[in-house]
Amino acid sequence: MEIINIIQGAISLLLILALAPMLVGIVNKQKAVFTGRIGAPILQPYYDLKRLFRKETINANSSSMISRISPVINIVTVILAAAMLPVGFAKPLISFNGDIIVFAYILGLARFFQILAAMDIGSSFEGMGASREATFAVFAEPIFFFTIGSIAFISNYTSIYDIYQSIRLDNLSFIIFIIVCSTSVSILAITECSRMPVDDPNTHLELTMIHEVMILDNSGIDLFLYQYSSYIKLAIYAILETSFFYPLGVKNYPLGLLIFIVIILFLSVALALAETITARFKLKSIPQYLLFATAIGILNLLIYTFTK
Amino acid sequence: MNLLFLGLIIQILSIFGIAFFKNDRKASAISHIILIIGIAVGLTFTIQNLMQGVPSFVNYNLFRVDALSSYFLLIIQLVSIPTSIYSYSYLKHHIDKGDKVRSNLLFFIVMLISTQLVVIADNAIFFLVCWELMSMSSYLGMIMEKEKKEVQSGSFYYLIACHAIVLFLYVFFLLLHHQTNSWLISDFHISPKTGNLFIILYALSLIGFGTKAGFMPFHVWLPKAHPIAPTVFSAFLSGVIIKMGIYGILRTFQILNPTPEWLGWVVLGVSMISAIFGVWYALAQHDIKKLLAYHSIENIGIIGIGIGIGFIGSAYHSLPVQILGFGGALLHTLNHAIFKSLLFIGSGVIYQNLGTRNIELMGGLIHKSRIFVILFLIGSIAICGIPPLNGFISEFIIYNGFFRTAKELGNYYPIIMLFSAVGLAFVGGLAVACFTKLNSVMFLGSERKKVDHFNVSLYDYLSMGILAAFCIIIGFYPYPFIKIVNSVLGNGFVPFNSYSVLTNINWLMISLIFSGIVLVFALLYLWKHSIQKKYGQRNSDAWGCGYEGLDPRMQYTASSFADELNVISQSVLVYQKQEVMTDRIIPVDQSFESHSKDIIDDKFIIPGLKKLTKMISKIKIFNYSDIRYYVASVLITIIIYCIIAFIWK
Repeated sequence: MEIINIIQGAISLLLILALAPMLVGIVNKQKAVFTGRIGAPILQPYYDLKRLFRKETINANSSSMISRISPVINIVTVILAAAMLPVGFAKPLISFNGDIIVFAYILGLARFFQILAAMDIGSSFEGMGASREATFAVFAEPIFFFTIGSIAFISNYTSIYDIYQSIRLDNLSFIIFIIVCSTSVSILAITECSRMPVDDPNTHLELTMIHEVMILDNSGIDLFLYQYSSYIKLAIYAILETSFFYPLGVKNYPLGLLIFIVIILFLSVALALAETITARFKLKSIPQYLLFATAIGILNLLIYTFTK
Repeated sequence: MNLLFLGLIIQILSIFGIAFFKNDRKASAISHIILIIGIAVGLTFTIQNLMQGVPSFVNYNLFRVDALSSYFLLIIQLVSIPTSIYSYSYLKHHIDKGDKVRSNLLFFIVMLISTQLVVIADNAIFFLVCWELMSMSSYLGMIMEKEKKEVQSGSFYYLIACHAIVLFLYVFFLLLHHQTNSWLISDFHISPKTGNLFIILYALSLIGFGTKAGFMPFHVWLPKAHPIAPTVFSAFLSGVIIKMGIYGILRTFQILNPTPEWLGWVVLGVSMISAIFGVWYALAQHDIKKLLAYHSIENIGIIGIGIGIGFIGSAYHSLPVQILGFGGALLHTLNHAIFKSLLFIGSGVIYQNLGTRNIELMGGLIHKSRIFVILFLIGSIAICGIPPLNGFISEFIIYNGFFRTAKELGNYYPIIMLFSAVGLAFVGGLAVACFTKLNSVMFLGSERKKVDHFNVSLYDYLSMGILAAFCIIIGFYPYPFIKIVNSVLGNGFVPFNSYSVLTNINWLMISLIFSGIVLVFALLYLWKHSIQKKYGQRNSDAWGCGYEGLDPRMQYTASSFADELNVISQSVLVYQKQEVMTDRIIPVDQSFESHSKDIIDDKFIIPGLKKLTKMISKIKIFNYSDIRYYVASVLITIIIYCIIAFIWK
């Protein structure tokens, strides 16, 4: 049993690492189709990564070893976080009591170094991005606890795998609770992955960006690592979101996995649609947007506990 | 036990080093060496004692060394050694400048010894004497640069706070003595059935010891006293002396238990406020030591959250909850002592070299000394509670305490514990914002003000290195420390338990994950390096949107970095921006500044004191200019008291 678990966990991790760029490609393709363009092929992110991989790396003169190590720390932490996620009905590679805390904090390590690396350049552009990232992260953190954390407190499980396994969609009030939770998580995902309407990765104005402006001065292998980890991050949040709907699937590994992938595809449609029809928020209103997600998380929790 | 006293005697002997050697440098070297040997001897005793797991309960009517005092001895001695090493380098720096340092060294030694005596004192009067000795020696050491105005006002705050604390403690111990007819702390035990008295005692203890620790409404002295104290003292003050407040509260719990449930709520609430606002105030500071002082308030808050959980567990007689709550608090006390003294020593090295504490004038120090920055960075990551360092371990235990409380107590607890967890996560987010600000503005980018030389002596490296090593060891291999905490809790703290909630947490997995991070990081870094070799790597100017004349002053500053967060809590932080704008074509006298005041200091303490002075001046009958009249009236009052006491008996 142990060995099967480990193999299945390893397969999940490899799937995430291999397919993460494709997810971005799919979203971008759909966005293009919705706006009436042909768009780049689905595999375009892979080509981008390959191109970056072979480029010369240029570091800013004023930068230090922080910008050299930060991309590597970023990818390591993201891979580690990915290893804690259940894909299909498989037990993840790393799963123990309390891993939900490790998961949240390990992403904090990546953020710490990403902000430092941005400030390392000594340019105001990166400074702006770093300041915004730090600010929005403060408001994003509670959302995670008010959604997935609240299920943990209700179910008394502290491992992400167990928390998601405990979701049973046989009770109407719990179904509503889960749906609202998943809405909050999607807002969190949009913020953390720097998607519209919080951040527009495709704009040409450095002044208005968050994540993209932080890595403005990176190139070559550094940029490769940053981009790849941001792809994996999107996949991570897609899985966090999808896992809410576990019980839709059958308790059967291959079939469960298939249903899992189908749900992710549905989510990508939703994300592409949302990105097509919304405009970017003003930077000042992003904290309000995040507080809104926190507020519905709190309300949702209170309503659920008092109607239970 | 004998080893401990031997250690203390050696430490006392180090004072003679100051007395016997004429040459300042020699005197400082000799007494520091003797002092460190003395602490090391004491440390061997403490470690032996804790490792055996059996507390040596030796009662000489004056001293007692049980598990809790051993644990705090460990904290004191562990931090004292690096601090003493740094103290040597610090004093050497001042001797070179021609300053008088002998009295300062004396106060330092007295402070170390009296702090150790505080935790092993069993007699309440002796405890108070040691406590006063500790407060006064730290006060006297603090006023090293007494000609400066900020030193005078800041140290005065500390002096007043110390006096207020002692007043509360006097009443506290007198009431206890009155109830139990004994002066020994180990004899004190009051059951909650005493009703009001129980509550009054807790209030006295929480206000007295809480002020020392720096919980939020009573924190005002902390950010005033830390910046002005010589670094050696602020490191020890923030690392160890404020922990004596925590020690006092834990002792109070031993005397007065089980606690009522609402008390747990009060402690939890106050701690949560301390944690959140402590870190938020820190974010608005530009003075590095003031920033670190506010961070002490935050961390004391985190320790308090653990204690609050423990109190709640005690109210419900739930052992696992108590163990996780108090365990998290105890481990965080040790952790905070380690990384906070590391950061303070770092700030002292920077101050020595640059002559300023304003971080807005720093920058680019990483190009001067890489190892120093790495050491400081280790402290910063640890204090943010980010894996893989020690700060995470203790916060992890506290999170586990939240989960366990929700599970064990049920009812409305899951919701409240969830809110507490969110609060702690929020604090973590703010701490990340604060320490990325601090590190990036001080160390990264290019120099805002020209730095000619940046000397970090071997002793500085050594003292910071020892502390950083402990941050790493506890982070990567927490199990031995967890076992120590568990045995401390088992021995006379919570009713003896065979529970292993603390040791049952999957520490092996955490060690494995953290080592995995390092391993994968190293491999990937080497791989990245080889790729860079293959496809090339070079340096070039940063992208400035086509603008060529980039200047270090154009870098993002600490204020602008933190502005977005500070503006949100403007009213609480008393965060103000002052702009002077002119419409003239040549804007000559334009200026902009932003600063933050402490709302409690600004709105309550200062106006309150003013009112108090006014009231007192009305009832002031004797108004002499000669101090001898005052001394005489004090003497007369004491005599009257004595006569009354004599007749009463």
